[in-house]
Amino acid sequence: MTGPRLTRWVVAVPMAALALATIYPLVFTTNVAMKTRREYVLDRFSLADSLSFANIVKAWTSVGMSRYFLNSVVVVACSVALLLLFGSMAGFALARLTFRGSSTLFLGVLAALFVPFQVIMVPLARIMADTGLIDTYPGLVLAYVAQFLPFTIFLLTSYYSTVPPDIVDAARIDGNTVYGVYWRIMLPIGAPALLSVGVLNALFCWNDVLISLLMMPSAEHRTLMVGVTSLRGQYSDDIPTFASGVLIAAIPVLVVYLFLQRQIADGVTAGSTKG
Amino acid sequence: MTAQSLSSVDPAAAGSTGRTAGSAPAAPPRRRRGLRAERLAPLVLLAPALLIIIGLRLWPLVLGINFSFTGDGDRNGMAVGFDNYATLFADPLFRTALRNVGLLVLLLPVAVAIPGLLATFIYLKVPGHRLYRGVYFFPAVLSPVIVGAIFNLLLAFDGPLNKLLGGLGLGPVDWLGDPDVAIFAVVGVHVWATFGMALVVFLAGFATLDPSLLDAAKVDGATLPQTIRHVIVPGLTRTIQFVFVTTMIGMLTSMFGLIYVMTTGGPEGSTYLPEYYIWIQQGQMNQPALASAASTALFLIMLVVGLAQIGILRRAGKED
Repeated sequence: MTGPRLTRWVVAVPMAALALATIYPLVFTTNVAMKTRREYVLDRFSLADSLSFANIVKAWTSVGMSRYFLNSVVVVACSVALLLLFGSMAGFALARLTFRGSSTLFLGVLAALFVPFQVIMVPLARIMADTGLIDTYPGLVLAYVAQFLPFTIFLLTSYYSTVPPDIVDAARIDGNTVYGVYWRIMLPIGAPALLSVGVLNALFCWNDVLISLLMMPSAEHRTLMVGVTSLRGQYSDDIPTFASGVLIAAIPVLVVYLFLQRQIADGVTAGSTKG
Repeated sequence: MTAQSLSSVDPAAAGSTGRTAGSAPAAPPRRRRGLRAERLAPLVLLAPALLIIIGLRLWPLVLGINFSFTGDGDRNGMAVGFDNYATLFADPLFRTALRNVGLLVLLLPVAVAIPGLLATFIYLKVPGHRLYRGVYFFPAVLSPVIVGAIFNLLLAFDGPLNKLLGGLGLGPVDWLGDPDVAIFAVVGVHVWATFGMALVVFLAGFATLDPSLLDAAKVDGATLPQTIRHVIVPGLTRTIQFVFVTTMIGMLTSMFGLIYVMTTGGPEGSTYLPEYYIWIQQGQMNQPALASAASTALFLIMLVVGLAQIGILRRAGKED
């Protein structure tokens, strides 16, 4: 760094403090989840007397978090699978099968990228109601696929554009059809990009609350994040149980983050730099 | 991003592949029958994506704009001209939402500068730099619902933050209950939760920066502010532009979860944003046409903000 040694430490101390402030809220919540109601009311900050998972078990079983959790897992898994399938098909076609109008189509995808959900949610709810898809799992999956497909296509098109055309040519000379090239060459070659965009899409879908609120009005169809918001009203006088619900929703994200941080960052930064 | 990707789908740039796929003069005769199916392949591969994007993204956009010129309730389906827009701009709640958007635009430079500075320090290898990226980025992958729920506990009137302030001799602040404070609390939490996203983008930008320029600045004895002003900012124009636009889009379209969990628009409607207003009018008040007008207004705001920022930054980039 340009400055003298002292400057480095002047900067380092606030940065360390900020890092602590970034971690603390989750530590606080974990601690609260371990406490009994009485402990929490008496002192919010003291360490829980023991590592007690009673609240977490309660939130999982009697409060209904297990049902919401399962709903979320099913919806996220289906959405991500369809996003990767449709996204890679379109990305391959746009990047490596140039045809009249392909660049115009790519521009159209980019344009769709800049239409936020808030702008289309009213007519979308009406379309879903008219087709009987509202309050159904396929309806929510379709809404997620529609929401995140432009981003997925954009990323995969950029990735497939970096695959040397020679690979495609060689595979075709070996007698592969276009579909064979897609299935046998492009899908395996695209694995790193598919992993990155897949994880990111899984996070988007898992974390969403607005689309899910709009598409799934009935209580038994709630996804996990909507479930957490409903806990707030129900357990406003039982904060440890509420904190346990929050923790249940956060832990899968933490685990994914610990293992796939680099892939998530790759997806987020795609498009920010040239090349 | 755009320039690169667009050039790679340009027919001229990747023409050789296309021609091989289309004419295939060297193909053995038995494959001739498959040629028709082959020529349709791009369309087949694109069909699901196109159907979904057109049917569930672009068509609703047209439908929504159209819808905003029809009536609600008794006047359902009737053309009402600009009535919804008149109602909208007369509604104190929507005006608050617009005022809050103005506030977000004012706070935008801060929300970009914080991660920019932090990324600079990390890039310049402050002690512990290896750790910070992973720690700072983490809240950005959490749902606004989780972040909002946690901060509900932290910012409660008898919660930890007020206790900490009390220890320093500062009075308790009603973070989420005071109409003058609540919007700042919500925006503050949003910035806390998302600065890691911008930080990671900045770090990706730094990776493309020519290290010899920094070395030269060091040799010339440039101070840190001089280095930032004359080496880092000009070198990262494109990254800074990207962060400005994505941060603004994030502020306008991903705070619903926070508002829904932390304040439900209150106190006294002081934390309304357009996206929350749309949700309330559509879901709670059953006024979809009015909600559509608000959607169209939000879309226009995003267009204007996006174009303005790109314009300003492009000019700033040229001056440097």
